[in-house]
Amino acid sequence: MEEQTNGAVNPGAQPKAPEQPAAARGTSLWLKVVTVLFALSLGAAFMVITRADAARKTKPKDMDLSKLAGLSQAKKNAVAVVEIYGAISQGNSSRSWDRGSQQIAKRIKELADKKDVKAIVLDINTPGGSVGAVQEIYSAIKRAKAETKKPFIARFGEVSASGGYYVASACDLVVALPGTITGSIGVIFSVNNFEGLMKKVGFRNEAIKSGKFKDIGSPTRDMTPEERKLLQAMIDDSYEQFVAAVSEGRKLPVEEVKKLADGRIYTGRQASTNGLVDKLGDLQDALDAAGEMGGIGKNPRVLKESDPFEQIMSLMDSKLQLSGAKALTDAMDVSPSVEYRWYGH
Amino acid sequence: MNPLKTLQLLIDRPEALGAIERPEGLGRTGLLGYLAGTVGLFVFLRMQSAIPPGLPSFLMVLLFVLSANFFFAGVMHLFMDLTGVRGSASRLFLAFGCSDYLLTLLVPMGFFSGLDLLNGFVWLCLCFAAVIYARVRLVRRLYPVSINKALLSIWLPYAGFSAVFFAAFIYGLAWLIWLVI
Repeated sequence: MEEQTNGAVNPGAQPKAPEQPAAARGTSLWLKVVTVLFALSLGAAFMVITRADAARKTKPKDMDLSKLAGLSQAKKNAVAVVEIYGAISQGNSSRSWDRGSQQIAKRIKELADKKDVKAIVLDINTPGGSVGAVQEIYSAIKRAKAETKKPFIARFGEVSASGGYYVASACDLVVALPGTITGSIGVIFSVNNFEGLMKKVGFRNEAIKSGKFKDIGSPTRDMTPEERKLLQAMIDDSYEQFVAAVSEGRKLPVEEVKKLADGRIYTGRQASTNGLVDKLGDLQDALDAAGEMGGIGKNPRVLKESDPFEQIMSLMDSKLQLSGAKALTDAMDVSPSVEYRWYGH
Repeated sequence: MNPLKTLQLLIDRPEALGAIERPEGLGRTGLLGYLAGTVGLFVFLRMQSAIPPGLPSFLMVLLFVLSANFFFAGVMHLFMDLTGVRGSASRLFLAFGCSDYLLTLLVPMGFFSGLDLLNGFVWLCLCFAAVIYARVRLVRRLYPVSINKALLSIWLPYAGFSAVFFAAFIYGLAWLIWLVI
């Protein structure tokens, strides 16, 4: 600008850089100082963090690991508890949180496969359930025992009858409360007959069958003697399976089991006297026994139920169902099935 | 242009941000600001042992900072546009990056917090307050609005997030009570 106004240019002079105002120079200086300070503090922070991390990593090496090994091991090992509550059924939904026999069997397998789990307690409070579902859990216990050699302890709550006892017979130890209702070793097949009711309302059912037994158990007519005989044979066979399982599990002769297995129920104390139960006690007694059998001593760490997602979904599902609606539909379910179940509960 | 010079320009003449021609080196300076700010935040949080160590952890923080600011800039620009104020969303995003240089202050503040000079959370809040202040100043230059409107637009995404979080929290609480009872 100056050159233009003067109209003369000095060819030997170097062009001057435009001078920054004082404020700009101050800002520039401050920024440079802050940058240097930032770099320094960053370097210092990295050193501090690296040293802290290194100290954290090397800390266990400075300590006496032999002392800690036993402690950490003792803390890690646990007794797992699997709850079997309510009537046992296969579960008729695709919801993974439905507590059907498949989920229980899966849970037993998962826990048995865990290294930290040294023994498994089955907390049983059930009147039994369908034959297939009960045998699925029984089979899962037998398989887990054979594969892992881990002890299984059955603990009876309020009721552990019929199918509940079937499941327990696969365990190494059965602990029951003195007042537990157990026993009811037997099989039941019940069918409702609505023939009279249907006649009254003018409803008639026609069945076209490929064989004479195809509609066996139909609620729309009386049962024929032939059908009764056939069903009795089936019940007897299932009963023999139950007796064989109890005989094998409890190490009792079949004849002796049959004497006890006329379908009657026992209190825990009666069951203890006649050899169906090993020990009287509560859940803590069962856990202590499991800890000792698993080699981790009394009062062991307890690994409780299950996948938190499944638990919360199950809780939500039960809330979402209309109050009593499921119980009503279950009650209305007239399809007959062969069951290891006590209906007195 | 040297990022320091661009920064100096923005400090001395913030109106350059809203000029017809974009300040030279703004893109580089803004992105470097995000990086430097994230380094400051990451180091501060590491000093408080609040986050895990390692490059993946740092990259996660960087990704979070970039995506949050991208979202915030988008929401703010939309708000300004809806209220009839013209401006540039990309410059806003880069201006936010420039304001993030203030997060580098968290590194020395991490030491102060280690020396028990105020709680770490208070330092963090102070630093974020400084960032908000800087953003308000920059937004006012980028969009011709009052301080109040600039403040409102800056707080809008935060308020939205807080409202959603609060509503979800209350709903979760009610749901939990419904589940348990």
